[in-house]
Amino acid sequence: MNCDEAKNILLLYRHDTADADDPQIAEALAPAKRDPELGEWLEAHCARQFVIGKKLRQIAVPAGLKEQIISEQAAQERMNSWRPKFALLTAVAVILLLGTLAFFLFPKPGSEDTLMVYQQQMVGVALRGYAMDLTTNDPGQIRAYLAQNHAPSDFVLPEALKQAALTGCAVEGWQNTRVSMICFRTAKSVAAGGQSDLWLFVVDRSSVKGAPIGALPQFSKVNVLITATWTQGDKLYLLGTEDDEQAIKQYL
Amino acid sequence: MADRVNFENLVASYYGPLYQFAFSLTRDEADSCDLVQQAFCIWAGKGHQLRDTTKVKTWLFTTLHREFLSARRKEARFPQIDLEYAAAELPVVPPATVNQLDAAQVLAALAQLDEIFQAPVALFYLQDCSYKEIADILEVPLGTVKSRLTRGIARLHQLLTGEKNKMPKPNNL
Repeated sequence: MNCDEAKNILLLYRHDTADADDPQIAEALAPAKRDPELGEWLEAHCARQFVIGKKLRQIAVPAGLKEQIISEQAAQERMNSWRPKFALLTAVAVILLLGTLAFFLFPKPGSEDTLMVYQQQMVGVALRGYAMDLTTNDPGQIRAYLAQNHAPSDFVLPEALKQAALTGCAVEGWQNTRVSMICFRTAKSVAAGGQSDLWLFVVDRSSVKGAPIGALPQFSKVNVLITATWTQGDKLYLLGTEDDEQAIKQYL
Repeated sequence: MADRVNFENLVASYYGPLYQFAFSLTRDEADSCDLVQQAFCIWAGKGHQLRDTTKVKTWLFTTLHREFLSARRKEARFPQIDLEYAAAELPVVPPATVNQLDAAQVLAALAQLDEIFQAPVALFYLQDCSYKEIADILEVPLGTVKSRLTRGIARLHQLLTGEKNKMPKPNNL
C-alpha cells in the first residue's frame, strides 16, 4: 500500500473511535506508524476531523424543542383517546337524526288503515279491473261462496239494493282481513265488456280506523266513483258507482 | 404512565442529535424541528414494533432521514449546485486555521456537497456513528457508505481549506 492509497483510506479515520477496528483502516494505519510523512499527515488530518466534528456538534438546538415534542405527543394521545368516544357520539347523533327524519318523513304504519285509504283501495279494485271469483245472480250462492272463503257473508243489503241485478262476487284483502266484494249491474247500460257498474264492499268495521259510527251513509267522491259509506252492526259497507250522489241514493 | 416516561426519556436522549442531523440536511430551523417532531411521532405510533431495543437510535435516525427524503421529493425545490461554482462562493480557510472555523462555515461547506454525500458525512462527524451504523441508518450497503464518505470528506476538506486534493476514485457508487 503506497502513501496515497493509505491517505485515501485514512480519510475515514477518526481518532479514539472504533474506526481502527475496521480491517481496511487498520491496514492503512500500519504504514502511518512507519512513514513519518504519512504519520504527520495523519496527525493533521485527525486534528482537522476533530475540529470539523466539534463545530458541527455546536449546532444549537432550539430551546423548548424537547418540551414541545413531549407536550404535542401528550396532546395527540389525548386526542386518540377521545377519538373512539367521538366516533360513538357521532354514531348516536346520526342514528337519532335519521330516526327523527324517518318519524316525520315516512308515513306511520298505523296510518294506512284509515277509512280514506280503504275507500281509495277498494275503488281502485273496482276501476282497475278484477277477476270475478263467482259469476252468478244467486244471492245464496254468493253468501255461501263468501262464507266458504272466510269473507263477510252475513251482510245486510238495503232494500233498494236488493232490487239491483247481481252479477257475482270476489274476495279482496285489506290489512290482513278479507273484504267481500258484491257486484251489481244497474238498469242503465254499462261499458262494452263490462258486467258490473255498482259495487258493494263489506268488511269488519274494526279493521278500518275512522269508520263512520252510524247507519247514516256518508257520501264522498273517490276517484271517479261516488261512494256511500255506512256502518251496520260490526260491518262497514262501501257502495260505489260511476254516477252522482242522487243516483247512488236510490240504492240505499 | 410507564410508556409516557419511556417516551420522555427517549426524547431527552435523542432530540438533540436528531435535530443537529436534521439541521445539517435542511439548514433550516423550522424544517429541522418538524423532522424531529415527525420522527418521534412515528416512533409513538410504530415504535412498539421494534423488538431490538438496541436499534432505537438507528431507527430514529433512519426514520428522520426517510422523512427528509420524502419531503424533498414532494417539494422538489432544492436546486443542485455545481461544486466548481459553489466552491468559489465559500471563504477559503487555510489549513492551519481550520480550528478557527465556525459551525456556520462548516454547514455551508456541507451544503455544497453533492446530495448523496451530505447525510453520511453529517452522521460521520455529528454522531461518531460507525460505518455500519451509518449504512443501517441510510439503508445502503456498507461499501457504498465508505465510498460516499471518502469522497464527501475529501470534498468537504477541499471546500474548507482550498487545498486541491486529488479526489478519491469512486467505489461502489
